[in-house]
Amino acid sequence: MDIAYEKQTLDNGLDVIVHEDHGCPIVAVNLWYHVGSKNEQPGRTGFAHLFEHLMFEGSAHLDRGYFHALQEVGGTLNGSTSTDRTNYWEVVPAGALERALWMESDRMGYLLPALTQEKFETQREVVLNERRQNYENRPYGLVPMALMAALHPPGHPYHWVTIGDPDDLRAAGLDDVKAFFATWYGPANASLAVAGDVRAADAFAEVSRHFEEIPGGPPPPPPAVPDEPDPAGERRLLLVDRVELPRLYLAWRTPPLHAAGDAELDLLAEVLSGGKASRLHQRLVRERRIATDVTAAQSSRELAGSFFIAATAAPGHDLAEIDAVIAAELAALQADGPADDEMERARTSADADFVYRAQTVGGFGGRSDLLNMYNVLAGDPGYGPADRRRYAEADAAALRRTADRCLRQDARVALSVVPAGATDAALPGSVQVHPR
Amino acid sequence: MTPVDRTRLPLPGADRAFTLPAFERADLGGGTAVWAAEHRRAPLVALHLLLPAGSAADPPEVHGLAALTAELFTEGTAELSAMELESALKRIGGVLTTAVRSDATVIALTVLSRHMAAGLRLLFEVAMRPRLDAGDVERERELRINRIRQQLQSPGLLADRAFLEALYAKHPYGHPAIGTEAALRSVEPAGVADFHRRAWAAAPWTLVAAGDADPGALIAEAQRAWAAVAASEDRRPAPAAPPDPPSVRERMVFVPRDGAVQSELRLGHAGPPRSSPDYHALLVLNMVLGGQFVSRVNQNLREAKGYTYGASTGFDWRLGRGPFRLQTSVQTASTVDALREAVREVADIRGPRPPSGQELDVARAALTRGFPRTLETASQLARAGLQMALHGLPADDYANFPRRVAAVGAEDVRRSAARHLDPDRLVAVVVGSRPDVFDGLAELGFGDPVERPAV
Repeated sequence: MDIAYEKQTLDNGLDVIVHEDHGCPIVAVNLWYHVGSKNEQPGRTGFAHLFEHLMFEGSAHLDRGYFHALQEVGGTLNGSTSTDRTNYWEVVPAGALERALWMESDRMGYLLPALTQEKFETQREVVLNERRQNYENRPYGLVPMALMAALHPPGHPYHWVTIGDPDDLRAAGLDDVKAFFATWYGPANASLAVAGDVRAADAFAEVSRHFEEIPGGPPPPPPAVPDEPDPAGERRLLLVDRVELPRLYLAWRTPPLHAAGDAELDLLAEVLSGGKASRLHQRLVRERRIATDVTAAQSSRELAGSFFIAATAAPGHDLAEIDAVIAAELAALQADGPADDEMERARTSADADFVYRAQTVGGFGGRSDLLNMYNVLAGDPGYGPADRRRYAEADAAALRRTADRCLRQDARVALSVVPAGATDAALPGSVQVHPR
Repeated sequence: MTPVDRTRLPLPGADRAFTLPAFERADLGGGTAVWAAEHRRAPLVALHLLLPAGSAADPPEVHGLAALTAELFTEGTAELSAMELESALKRIGGVLTTAVRSDATVIALTVLSRHMAAGLRLLFEVAMRPRLDAGDVERERELRINRIRQQLQSPGLLADRAFLEALYAKHPYGHPAIGTEAALRSVEPAGVADFHRRAWAAAPWTLVAAGDADPGALIAEAQRAWAAVAASEDRRPAPAAPPDPPSVRERMVFVPRDGAVQSELRLGHAGPPRSSPDYHALLVLNMVLGGQFVSRVNQNLREAKGYTYGASTGFDWRLGRGPFRLQTSVQTASTVDALREAVREVADIRGPRPPSGQELDVARAALTRGFPRTLETASQLARAGLQMALHGLPADDYANFPRRVAAVGAEDVRRSAARHLDPDRLVAVVVGSRPDVFDGLAELGFGDPVERPAV
């Protein structure tokens, strides 16, 4: 969906994007800082996300938790950290826009005076518990650590995952917070979107009033990205985990977000595993019945993408059986490309996703978030229609070529996850890894 | 331009008028009805079909039958194979999901609005004339059995299952919709077809539609689509609310997961049904106790103590007495302390520390001023309609929601807490590392913990 917007840049470098929609008396504020775990230093992994937690603990002129002041006016708010960016958003009744902007500007301009050792330590415990809940105490939860470490060499900004290493989190201190804030949290490294029931002129005026007093500062350093040599062949890894059924993960390094091949890989994922009519679901789950589920996805990121296929073995079957079927289907796509009806389904589904994604003005993935994504990662908030065209214009030949170029057997990581005592279900020749 | 005053937080302006989309209603006979509302913010229509039987309608010996049968909705219709159905849905940009709740089952189809007519026909075909092929039943049954097995390693799902069993025993609310492996093993394809016929094909359904379409046109289109598939059977009445649950015998249930770095905790008891006159007061109470980030339980366990990533409470509003539940996952070493704090929060809010005036203001504001936000999309509006239809409320009931919440006073909340929260009846479930936490659980005054290995 084409999202109408206006954009201005303040003197201090802050990009401001406004989208009007008067259908519901709410306004979304969405602020991206172009910093994520890719910008962390070795020995301090997980810090960008820990920092995000501290942004909710108060600022110089509102030294208490940020949730109260917005929930008491009927608003909702959250934030998230990825490899590439950190975002913060509020959705508030239209009359509370000024309050939301006041708060976002206060923590952009004046976070540190409110920070204490006690707040820092409590939020570190909360993050360690987030890690326990979402990774350590969850079946297959340590897979992202194993795959990112295998896909990208040490020193690469994607070698580690956003939640970070627990020892690194424990080693971090207030000095790290101060340095991180000074380096990454200036207005020139941020993009602010306001969407909803507000007149654009009023929104720009309120944003200027609240943010222009914050000094711009020097631009942040680009991340150091070491050259990644082409993989010297397939790598097979084994992870013994607390799971009932073995699962095979295949992973490839792929082109970055918006680069040639990125949209084609998204469509290939749909052809392979989107719904019951998809190739791998048909072969593995319905016909051969050797797997209980299968998913494929292109994870599109700023510096490099990655493509994943994951399939869980049905009882009595091992991962080599599953691998053989997946390899045959990939080979068929590399030789012949998708059929016409597969292409049509995949494209229609991708196109509908653009409509579904843009239903809300705020929150994760709503219109304000999309405008910021395009502004920060494509350099243009109006990139939406071009983004949609990437999918509309991809044809079967392009998918065939992309599968051939990006999903080669000798460039993949194959991770077998098995229960204790079931290592014979893994692909032969797998080397055990011990992520944590 | 006035400079920013950083000495005080800006006060919010008055709420702007919010015109609620109204549902038009048409009865189609036999208890079936169509509700339609206009919501033109995206070129989509949300079509939600409410079938009035869910997991509580599972036969006592076949837990999981309703959910298995519902799984078959996407396995093809009388005319279309599963693959043809999938293709037909994709071609109209359709997203179809099925949710089996305790009291009802909802098939939700969202389609691009220009394909509304095709979407309605597919929706009725799927619901009323599923193929129910024996081979599909057998395959989906195996897949569900494998999911149940995988859940043995999912501490949260183990805790949910143990909690329902502890609260409700053999009551219809006492099992998760997916059921048990043993029960699913006993299912024959004929049993699935029989359940479908009894529970859904002959049930008085309600279609709730909202989106980029004229309500009158939606209703007319729904009538045409229904006429094309209408089964001739007489409609049976919807199932009545289940009876009250039996009294609880074991108050502390422990599920071992040795070496776990966190304990999954559930704490609660059966609560009031949706029809309770205290509904709005309890929503306000819950907002103070555990319904949002700034609520007491999360502020205490997360923000003050750092025991957890988050903690919350909620009443599960059902036709019968659904659970009131506090849930969290805490680091292993803090299990007993966290549980003690959680119990204290429930006890305190109905005793020594009732909600303050300021807490009540925040709670009411979250519900009333946050209300327009909950109706931003067509799907949200359709879900609001579903709740009204399921609970037999008039189609304009939600329009009164902000007014009713605003009218809840401190005394209403105090009385409702006293009536519906009972610290002496609380049941606790802990899924955690036995060597690290089991012995401490006896200190909590819930009696000796009863160990229930996950099977």
